[in-house]
Amino acid sequence: MSGLPSSSLAVLPPGQRAVVSALSLPEREAVWLRAVGLGEGVEVTVLRRAPFGGPLHLRTGGGAELAVDRALARHVGVAAGAAV
Amino acid sequence: MSAAPATVVALVGRPNAGKSSLYNLLTGGHAKVGNFPGVTVDVLEADVALASGEHLRFVDLPGVYTVEGEPDPESDEGHARRYLESLARDGAPHLVAQVLDATHLALGLKLTLELRRRGVPLAVLVTQHDVLEKQGSSVDAVALAAELGVPVLATSAREKGAGHRVLDFLGDAVRAAKVPSRDVLDADAVAQKVLRPRADAREALFASRRRTERLDAVLLHPVLGPVLFLGLMVLLFASVFLIADPVTWAIDGFMGALGSRVEAALGPGLVTSALVDGVLGGAGTVLIFLPQIVVLTVVMELIDASGYLARGSFLVDRLLSVAGLGGRSFVPLLTAHACAVPAITSARIIRDPGQRLRTILVLPLMTCSARIPTYGLLIAAFFAGSSALTRGALFVGLYFAGIGAGLVASLVLGRTVKRTAQVLPLVLELPPYRRPQARVMARLGWRAATRFVKDVGSVILVASVILWALLSVPGPGHAAAKATAPEGASKKVVAMHGSVAAFVGRALEPVTRPAGFDWRVNIGLIGSFGARELMVGTMGVIFGIETDDDDPTPLAAKLRDAKAPDGERAYGVPTALALMGFFVIACQCMSTVAAVRRETRSWKWAAFLLAYTYGAAYVLAVAVYQVASRVL
Repeated sequence: MSGLPSSSLAVLPPGQRAVVSALSLPEREAVWLRAVGLGEGVEVTVLRRAPFGGPLHLRTGGGAELAVDRALARHVGVAAGAAV
Repeated sequence: MSAAPATVVALVGRPNAGKSSLYNLLTGGHAKVGNFPGVTVDVLEADVALASGEHLRFVDLPGVYTVEGEPDPESDEGHARRYLESLARDGAPHLVAQVLDATHLALGLKLTLELRRRGVPLAVLVTQHDVLEKQGSSVDAVALAAELGVPVLATSAREKGAGHRVLDFLGDAVRAAKVPSRDVLDADAVAQKVLRPRADAREALFASRRRTERLDAVLLHPVLGPVLFLGLMVLLFASVFLIADPVTWAIDGFMGALGSRVEAALGPGLVTSALVDGVLGGAGTVLIFLPQIVVLTVVMELIDASGYLARGSFLVDRLLSVAGLGGRSFVPLLTAHACAVPAITSARIIRDPGQRLRTILVLPLMTCSARIPTYGLLIAAFFAGSSALTRGALFVGLYFAGIGAGLVASLVLGRTVKRTAQVLPLVLELPPYRRPQARVMARLGWRAATRFVKDVGSVILVASVILWALLSVPGPGHAAAKATAPEGASKKVVAMHGSVAAFVGRALEPVTRPAGFDWRVNIGLIGSFGARELMVGTMGVIFGIETDDDDPTPLAAKLRDAKAPDGERAYGVPTALALMGFFVIACQCMSTVAAVRRETRSWKWAAFLLAYTYGAAYVLAVAVYQVASRVL
């Protein structure tokens, strides 16, 4: 596993759009995450963060909403997304 | 019955695709409808005859995101994968019907393309089409069928006549048994080609999201969300007590009056005693807890079907992960408040093997409905003088004691028996909120009621009669034992003191006295070893014999007034609290032990569960009794 991405889902401010650029995860987990709908090239918006360092609430470009653990989000690299 | 074997139609789809609703529609409702990833936990199947005379065997598989990669074999995905592989290997006629949520077309098509690559006979059912139309778009089923090279039907389970249309479609698909070509397609590109958005699609999509967004703004609010969650849990547990309490006591009064009538009509004798003490006193006493169990089932379904269950997981993930569990453990943990057995099976939705095992081992600590009768009886007997609020608070407190015990047990297990290694982090879909269907809730409530009545009518009835017999047959040293009966006691009571059951109960007294349990409570604990709901029935039989048959006093009052050999009251609040503590922890349920053995594939964990819960329950009961009898 390579180092953590410099800009990750974990630090994305709520409301700002971004595009998933890399998954720095073991291949088995990355395959599953892509199948769930959080793979490279997917547009994401963080809707909110659960209190006490809990999971993130995301919406993907396809309209699916996901709860994603914050530790995992650190391994999901993002790049600036298209402006609204 | 037709001579030809039924063709297996395996329903495959992502969690939340609407598979369970469709399965219910096609088969008349043998699976529970849910709105949460993995609510279909066991492989359910049902045979359906088509108008043409053919038979289809529908199999509802657990939801999967992918059929490639390497899932854990004991997870939902592992179970679904094994089933599909066995289907292909056996070579029996079959069809894989993918249920595809129209509102997440591209995501669902990824799974379709994986299934195409496996070369299985395939058909695609695009569901929730009505929801997609509200979002301002539609799917061109003909174009999609042409792209994929397999039959496609666009439908929605709520639509009138949908069941017949889907059955006709699947009948045709089975006859065609079309194995698609394996040419490479791109899911996003296919979705683009077949989606037909209206001009106002964007506005319609935003409008359709508004309700869920507004609800989430409140229910997932950083401060308000957790407060409302806690409030909802308190309300759930309190409603079991508050709604069902008056009904329960009305039935109890009726049972007491019925016993007196039977006694008066038949006159005293062995048959009367068996009927009144054994049947009415035992099984009848348990029956009064029916309303609580129905209320609990209906409210739990309300939480599940509305979409709040996934929100609960989101809110408690952090708290549970401190204890070595996680958001995905929340579903089985909540389910276990009705019954641990289905909850243990539903733990398959937990992808991490260590987390799954820890969840399974602490699930039996959640306050299942079988504990309600004992708690209800003890509160009625020893806290009758307290206000309804105090009694309600104690009842709710017992629920939270179970949850607290579970968190502590998981923490300890994670540090000792099953160490917490790196845990697969939470990723969970949050489906839109939906209005629960009253019809489905009514059916579940009815099913819970009939199952409970059947249970009371079979196992508890037989156990009560056997117990009554054991309390009547003389045991070793009965002559001396009979002398311990209170002076002036009736013949029946004297006989009970010399019975086999009393002998066993007395033999255990040296061990249980530090917890405040006498031989009568010990008989109850032995009687409820296999199933804790037998406790109240057992006490009903013992105290039914001990008091006059024509005495319609509720069991609670008999328990309160029970005498020790020295003529003092046998039990007080310390004993009641100790007994409650014992019931919070002890796994008095052989069905649960069997379920743990099945899911962990090992007797080791089943035996471990029994040993650790009984050990901890005893220690807690002794501690509570010792402290309470000094303080109170």
